[in-house]
Amino acid sequence: MVRDTTLSSRIADIIIIIILLIGALSCILPIWYTLCVSLSEKSAAAAGMVKLWPIGFNFNSYEQIIGDRKFFNSFWTSVKRVILAGGINFIVTVLMAYPLSKEKKEFPLRNVFMWILIFCMLFNGGLIPWYITVRSYGLINSIWALVLAGGLPIFNVILVVNYFRNLPKELEEAALIDGAGPWYILFKIFVPLAIPVLATVTLFTIVNHWNEFFHGLVLMAKEERYPLQTYIQQLVVVIDTSAMTEDQYKRISELSNQTLNAAKVFIAMIPVLIIYPFLQRYFIHGITLGSVKE
Amino acid sequence: MRNKKFINHYYLMLLPGYIWLILFSIIPMFGIVIAFKDYNPGVGIWKSEWIGLENFKYMFLLSDSKNIFINTVFISTMKIIGNLIVPLVFALLLNEVRISALKRGIQTIVYLPHFLSWVILSSILLDVFSYTGPVNQLLLAFGKEPILFFAREDLFPWLIVFSDVWKNFGFNAIVYISALTSINPSLYESAAIDGATRLDNLRYITIPGIMSTIVLLGALSLGNVLNAGFDQVFNLYNPLVYSTGDIIDTWVYRMGLLNMQYSLATAVGLLKSAIGFVMITLSYYLASKYANYRIF
Amino acid sequence: MAKRLLIFVLLIALIVLPACGTSNTTENTPTNKTDQIADNNSSNEGSSQETPDPFGKYEETVVINIGKSVDPTAKLPDGDTHENNQYTRHIKEHLNIEVRHEWEAASGNDYNQKVNLAIASNDLPDAMVVNNTQFRQAVRAGQLQDLTEAYDLYASPVMRQMMDKTEGRAQEAVTFDGKMMALPNLPVPDDGYSLMWIRKDWLDKLGLEVPMTVDEIEEVARVFVENDPDGNGKDDTVGIIGPQSGGLLYANFLSSTNITYGFGPIFTAHKAFPGFWLKDSDGKIVYGSILPETKEALAKLRDWYEKGLIDKEMGIRKDSSELMSSGQAGIFFGPWWMGYAFSDAVNNNPDANWQAYASPLDANGEYNTTMGAVSTEFLIVRKDYEYPEAVIKMNNLLIRDESKFDLSKGGPGFYPLRVPMAAPDESKVTIDALRDVLNGNKEPEDFDDPAYAPYKLLLNDVENVRDVKLEPYDNTDIQYWDLEARDGAWMRLYSLLVGAAPIYETEMNRVYSEIYYQTKTIESRWANLQKLEDETFMKIIMGAAPLDEFDKFVEEWKKQGGDIITAEVEEAVKE
Repeated sequence: MVRDTTLSSRIADIIIIIILLIGALSCILPIWYTLCVSLSEKSAAAAGMVKLWPIGFNFNSYEQIIGDRKFFNSFWTSVKRVILAGGINFIVTVLMAYPLSKEKKEFPLRNVFMWILIFCMLFNGGLIPWYITVRSYGLINSIWALVLAGGLPIFNVILVVNYFRNLPKELEEAALIDGAGPWYILFKIFVPLAIPVLATVTLFTIVNHWNEFFHGLVLMAKEERYPLQTYIQQLVVVIDTSAMTEDQYKRISELSNQTLNAAKVFIAMIPVLIIYPFLQRYFIHGITLGSVKE
Repeated sequence: MRNKKFINHYYLMLLPGYIWLILFSIIPMFGIVIAFKDYNPGVGIWKSEWIGLENFKYMFLLSDSKNIFINTVFISTMKIIGNLIVPLVFALLLNEVRISALKRGIQTIVYLPHFLSWVILSSILLDVFSYTGPVNQLLLAFGKEPILFFAREDLFPWLIVFSDVWKNFGFNAIVYISALTSINPSLYESAAIDGATRLDNLRYITIPGIMSTIVLLGALSLGNVLNAGFDQVFNLYNPLVYSTGDIIDTWVYRMGLLNMQYSLATAVGLLKSAIGFVMITLSYYLASKYANYRIF
Repeated sequence: MAKRLLIFVLLIALIVLPACGTSNTTENTPTNKTDQIADNNSSNEGSSQETPDPFGKYEETVVINIGKSVDPTAKLPDGDTHENNQYTRHIKEHLNIEVRHEWEAASGNDYNQKVNLAIASNDLPDAMVVNNTQFRQAVRAGQLQDLTEAYDLYASPVMRQMMDKTEGRAQEAVTFDGKMMALPNLPVPDDGYSLMWIRKDWLDKLGLEVPMTVDEIEEVARVFVENDPDGNGKDDTVGIIGPQSGGLLYANFLSSTNITYGFGPIFTAHKAFPGFWLKDSDGKIVYGSILPETKEALAKLRDWYEKGLIDKEMGIRKDSSELMSSGQAGIFFGPWWMGYAFSDAVNNNPDANWQAYASPLDANGEYNTTMGAVSTEFLIVRKDYEYPEAVIKMNNLLIRDESKFDLSKGGPGFYPLRVPMAAPDESKVTIDALRDVLNGNKEPEDFDDPAYAPYKLLLNDVENVRDVKLEPYDNTDIQYWDLEARDGAWMRLYSLLVGAAPIYETEMNRVYSEIYYQTKTIESRWANLQKLEDETFMKIIMGAAPLDEFDKFVEEWKKQGGDIITAEVEEAVKE
């Protein structure tokens, strides 16, 4: 690509970079702060004394969380969940997006199906009917509850539909002339071209399922089956002080354990941060459209 | 047309997704009738007493409801605008960066605050804006009086909006960033040959190239016009800022705290969904009629 | 092509469909519950007995499926689980009851969510322990079993004794339409009191006396703020800590216990009892927050705030205990058990000597206090469970045998369906015992006696105290405690000897609320009234509204449902 190297352009470059760096700095400071808290002495954190450096550097909170066998159980549950959900979401999203990206003349009921999705995205019966439904399917305490009960990822589908719609029509026409059917077109042509958006929605799915803790709490009956975030968030429990017992008084001293709270954030973040750069290259660099002869 | 014979295949493709939708979205949706009933768990959804619009009337008759409604609309509208513009601008700026490592580095960093829950972030925010915190110290350095930020009714909504936009812009930008990659690079090349400046590129290639994404995200976000962000407000508000900070969701939460009012909560949810749906439909219709453009 | 498609669809189906069929818990569907008891094909043990035995062992094993709150960090010996430990084995051995967990959740918010969901989706386990709101919801939904008969026939004499000691209050809390719908807990009443906690080391350093009146507190707070008692050279000392964001200014009739960093004692010292339902001199019901005394107390607090004696960021700050832990503040009002919260404070400042007093006294030199609700937890049994008396027996057993368990193998929180019942004088007896042992008047072994059986933790406490408390024994200052001994047992003993002692050594005017639950209109209107109250009072104190805003508040409160509710409470109390 031809570089524009005039002075004003250079200055613009520098200004842009400065703005971005300031933005990045503002984002990293709270993260850095949380990291410092997680590595600090509990009492210091409780007193709000930790600012930009850990005080009383130690790994205690991390040990406390990771040292437990239950941690690995729930970690593994989350991994399973993410893999299953990622796979199913990917396939279903792609399958849904293709027909919905067609024009009305090719697929007359397309608008109906589309609006049903929009409707379902906005309306829901609330927590109780949803819970009763999931329970009636016998999914309570099963990993499939975690994978499926969240429902179809409608927003992701719409994103992919939008992307498909913007792909050049010539691609399809060329394939049709060669006698290709819709399945071939979808999987052999559209999907490879849609890598950026597919990487994006895969990322959303992974992040979503990894961070999700509420379903884990209500759909799993016992701790052994909790996914990671549900397991971790119960360690830093807010005690209902309206009814305290002797053991709970003891837990009061845990109440102000902000180091634990902070450590939990990082442990949860790490796997996604590992995946992220891996996916990042798919939607930053994209792919060349050179395969298409204009 | 030649594609008509593929219709059966289209149905087949839609099948798994729609089964999933029916099982987990549509069937539970029938429970929305709770909004019109006095839900008694002992007898179940269907046998609970029908009270029609009582729940809705109750909502509107409360002295504060107008105020709560206005707060909600104000905060969420500002958020919608902020969450559309800032990530977009950020994605465009990032697009200009040539050094790949820097680009990826910055992108990874700004993505991070999205992961912090509001429970943690609220502590940080309250700290940063506290009476003796860095922001007030900055004010002092400029000779101004320190401000008790989170006690101020006039400032509270803005604090909410700005912190939310800040938290999410990195994440929200991802969609734009990925959309930017789908613009054909040869367009930029031919533009360069024609002597186009960066601004020209922006106006004639970049923005049009991702316009459909921008419009789509804009329209969809209108569906959230009554979701001002419960988690965030709940963790940041206090009685001093109730008048501008109390939103529909925090109000419903407090109702539910004292008494598990599922009927009311469902009624409110229904109202929010209905208004959001109307907004989306309206924007679709307007775009279709006046710009001849189908958003989705 | 179509073939590949078919295979694809089948694959998806194969994955999804079996999931619909599996259920990893067999106890989920209602029919299964009674099926379990099909094992026990003999008739009800209860009805075939002539004389009901409170500790009667069932002939055939009775299974009970419960919801259980757990402490995920609690340690158990190897091989033990939440469902299988010394307590559950004890129950199996003595009563032939097998306890199964339909679900477990971390105590606190998680457990509450699960309970709420269970009630709202009409899927109650056989029994579980719930809070007041959940209890009333379940009663109204008709989901609970009448326990009157089970209690009458099977409650042990000790249990009856403890219930009777509350002068009928406990029974009242669980009775609807003359029927007893739950077994209530009887916690030690200490949780309802707020003591004044103060940095005694600062008082000593600055040569001040312990303040016992409102004016004295004001003076001491002023000196704290101005004289930099922590000696760090910064003008950052806070006189009095205020509630944190979401915290309460004072106890109210719905949240009447364990108020931390509130100003309750300041209100009561003005003979104001906001948040409580009272009887005025004519015997009519009135809500404490709208009375003129409350306005006076607000004026005083407003004055204090303006003078900088109270934390400037009260009500906004995320965590008020930071001020306490960092050694920045000198005074706060809180419950007796704050000893458990001091370890951070002491870590950061070994000199931090927090002592507690029943202060301030009112203009007549008397100490007034609000009292907490008698019961805060309720053991409920679902309507169709066949063995309601089982839960009574389980608690009989607990009361009788609690002191016999080895706490190192798991604390009493593991005991299923436990509604802690304490003798109301438990703290007093414990405090006296501790002092006797410290003085050498008694030996720890003296308390290994059936007479002390109702006081379950007593033996443990007296065994610990000589190691935990250093000489001089009658000085409770922080330096005379060993913080490492006996696994941190100082926290409890400190809380008792410092925090709870003033409760039992001070003459007090005890004010109860006429009701501690919600009437019909309270349920629908209270959130709004509460908001009005919180907003007005906080603004008045922090100077964002003038004092006379109070009068407007009273008017609004009455108009927006306050009068209706007052009439309703009047009715409810008459019954």
